[in-house]
Amino acid sequence: MEYSISTILPIMLLPFFAFVLNAFIVKKFTKTAVAISCVAIFIPFIMAMRIFIDFVFNKYSSDYYIHKTFTWFDLSAGAQIFKVQMGIYLDNMSAVMLLMVTGVAFLIHLFSTYYMHDDPRYGRFFVYLSLFTSAMLGLVLSDNLFSVFIFWELMGFCSYSLIGFYYEKEGAGNASLKAFMTTRVGDVFFLLGIVALWTTIGSVSYVEIYKAIAESSLSSPVILFGLGIPLATFAGFCIFMGTIGKSAQFPLQVWLPDAMFGPTPCSALIHAATMVAAGVYLSLRMYPLMDAGGLLEFIAYIGGITALGAATIALVQTDIKAVLAYSTISQLGYMVLGIGVGAYSASLMHLITHAVFKACLFLSAGSVIHALHDHHTHAPVQEMPRMGGLRKKLPYTFIAMLFCTLAISGIPLFSAFVSKDRILGDALVMAAHSPIYIVPAILGFCGAFLTPFYMFRMIFLTFYGEPRDQELYKHAHDEHFSYNRNLPLLILAVFTLGFWYSGSLTGQGIVKVFPESKYEWFQVLVEKPVLNKFLGRTATPLEVSESKEFIEHSHYDPNHGIASEEEAHHVHLIHRFGAAASFLIALCGILLAYSMYITRKFSPEWWTTTFAQWTKALKNRYYFDHLYIDILIQKLLHPFNNLLAWIDMGFYDRYAVDGWERVLALSYSVARWFDNIVIDSVLVDGSGISVRFFNIVLRTIQNGKIQFYFLVLLFVLASYVLAFKPVI
Amino acid sequence: MGIIPYIVVSSILFICGIIVMIARKNIIAILLGIELVLNAAALNFVAFTKFNNMNIDGHVFALFIILVAAAEAAVGLAIVIRFFQVRESIHIDSATQLQS
Repeated sequence: MEYSISTILPIMLLPFFAFVLNAFIVKKFTKTAVAISCVAIFIPFIMAMRIFIDFVFNKYSSDYYIHKTFTWFDLSAGAQIFKVQMGIYLDNMSAVMLLMVTGVAFLIHLFSTYYMHDDPRYGRFFVYLSLFTSAMLGLVLSDNLFSVFIFWELMGFCSYSLIGFYYEKEGAGNASLKAFMTTRVGDVFFLLGIVALWTTIGSVSYVEIYKAIAESSLSSPVILFGLGIPLATFAGFCIFMGTIGKSAQFPLQVWLPDAMFGPTPCSALIHAATMVAAGVYLSLRMYPLMDAGGLLEFIAYIGGITALGAATIALVQTDIKAVLAYSTISQLGYMVLGIGVGAYSASLMHLITHAVFKACLFLSAGSVIHALHDHHTHAPVQEMPRMGGLRKKLPYTFIAMLFCTLAISGIPLFSAFVSKDRILGDALVMAAHSPIYIVPAILGFCGAFLTPFYMFRMIFLTFYGEPRDQELYKHAHDEHFSYNRNLPLLILAVFTLGFWYSGSLTGQGIVKVFPESKYEWFQVLVEKPVLNKFLGRTATPLEVSESKEFIEHSHYDPNHGIASEEEAHHVHLIHRFGAAASFLIALCGILLAYSMYITRKFSPEWWTTTFAQWTKALKNRYYFDHLYIDILIQKLLHPFNNLLAWIDMGFYDRYAVDGWERVLALSYSVARWFDNIVIDSVLVDGSGISVRFFNIVLRTIQNGKIQFYFLVLLFVLASYVLAFKPVI
Repeated sequence: MGIIPYIVVSSILFICGIIVMIARKNIIAILLGIELVLNAAALNFVAFTKFNNMNIDGHVFALFIILVAAAEAAVGLAIVIRFFQVRESIHIDSATQLQS
């Protein structure tokens, strides 16, 4: 397949055109709008599939990439070069991401035709979905941080609109604002990082950044508050702050649980395919920068704290979507932990597997919520304490959700066992190497114990046991198989199986999907960018640059690049130990949930009463909202705001603005005096008077009387003669 | 008899002419004044020639002056006639057309 801008760009442009069409032209015809949106995501899915197959089977190498640029605008003048280039950067990682985003987004579109069908703003929902998907696809295809930032902000806007979709609902508006403002904190840093890179390198494209890192031209320090920080550290930190905001990492995780106010399919989109994935994707792209900046330990700590903290909060949630929201934060923490410990491909793999099972979980939750309606208020029910026993009423949803729960718990044969446990294994390897990584590894394993517990708690509370609200149960609709409700769930559930992502767990002889790689196609495809190949690269605008030297055969190195046999053996041992340990831990978690919520051996109430303080802290989400809203905003920003207002009104307005009036009055009187005296009296009247004076003089002399002239002539002559006394 | 009496007479003539030119308002009288001045000059020429050297330059000049005076009187009188036709007066102060 020949790649050019016209064959790649439609992937991103089709949903965008759908958005434009739906938002401005066909908004009155809801069904047409929905059809346009769905078709406009299905065609990109097919194209992404073609690209994926092409990349995986034909260009089978981790360092193959396509880079096409065009000049967006050029303001260069002389030696001053100011040129912004846009372009497409397509490598294996983008290909995998494209397939995931388009696939998951298409299934979410399909599910939305069921879920949002009775909504009065059915068409508008699809408008936002199209724009959201288009922005994410654009971000994946971008070749530079600048266009990444554009799409990043576009997604921020879409999430804002979708979270506030039910604006009649109390709190939805606040939640959307909160999401927008919280991510904005990270975005400011992100922009700062882009500016820092731009001023140093003069370009923000990935390739140029990699090149600069390879040439180690980013180690020049920036002077910041009197401290000399290497530029790579500064820029890497700023860009990682963008990830923290977008991917809801500690300490900016507060917006994501509130994002549950949006419709459930949009939650699926935000949590799985688009918004939060964008942050991790950006961090993966900028991995060399963060590595060069020495930020990996910091990233690992952030990821570990997020993974465990969010998992603990999820323990006490009663809203089915809130549990999923916290599990999302927790899983994102694992991805960031993976970046921190250098598990590059495992981190991306976890991003993909998480996208699949989390989309499925959210859609299943939507299916559950849609089935349950409060008899009195007709409002959909999301509270798990009122559910129970829904297994018989919603069999397909139950199967899908069970698959996903097994996957997220890290049970072998399912996808997260492959990805999450590889991250944990690498964390263990790093912890064995340097003690600074011990804490993130422990945090990760603790989270791995809690994840199956709270997920199975959700399953048990929702689907098992006796119905706790009999009336609600009686009115719950029985599930009949329908293509747009159950098909997306079941398709996604199938893709939670592990063999799609890794051949090694199911046995190499059984599944040979990718014959060229005997072990792990994912690890062969996605590797840390090799920076040295960017060294000799010269920037050629409007040119197509393509790495030619791709290798035909797999060069998967099972020893992870470790030369010594003994050490490789050691690493393998740790990996195996990690996998076994996390599997055991997961089993323990499931057993604990089983004994607490099915057999009732341990009563959950005993825990909540014994650890009352902890429960209270967890229910209040570790008081982060309190910290941000009551202390940071009310106590700090609000007085600061008042101070600024006081400076503005009392000082600036009073002295600068009103004082200006006084200055003007003074200068006005001076000008008036000057006008009256100098201009009017002296210049205007004075010239008149002088003209009149000379008029009198001249009129007297030049009176037209010839005899007078003659007399004067005579007089002058006589005086001349008398004065010079001529010699006679 | 020396040159002095000639010069005295011509000076009296000259001054009379000047006074006539300044004091009289009649244009014809002014023309007469001019004739007096010219004749005073002519008298001077003749007198200086007689007493200085024996050539006839002064006489020739006197003749020229008489000639010029005749021509000038003719032109001046023509102007005066034309002026009288327009203004019906030969008073010098009525010639005010150039004084806008």
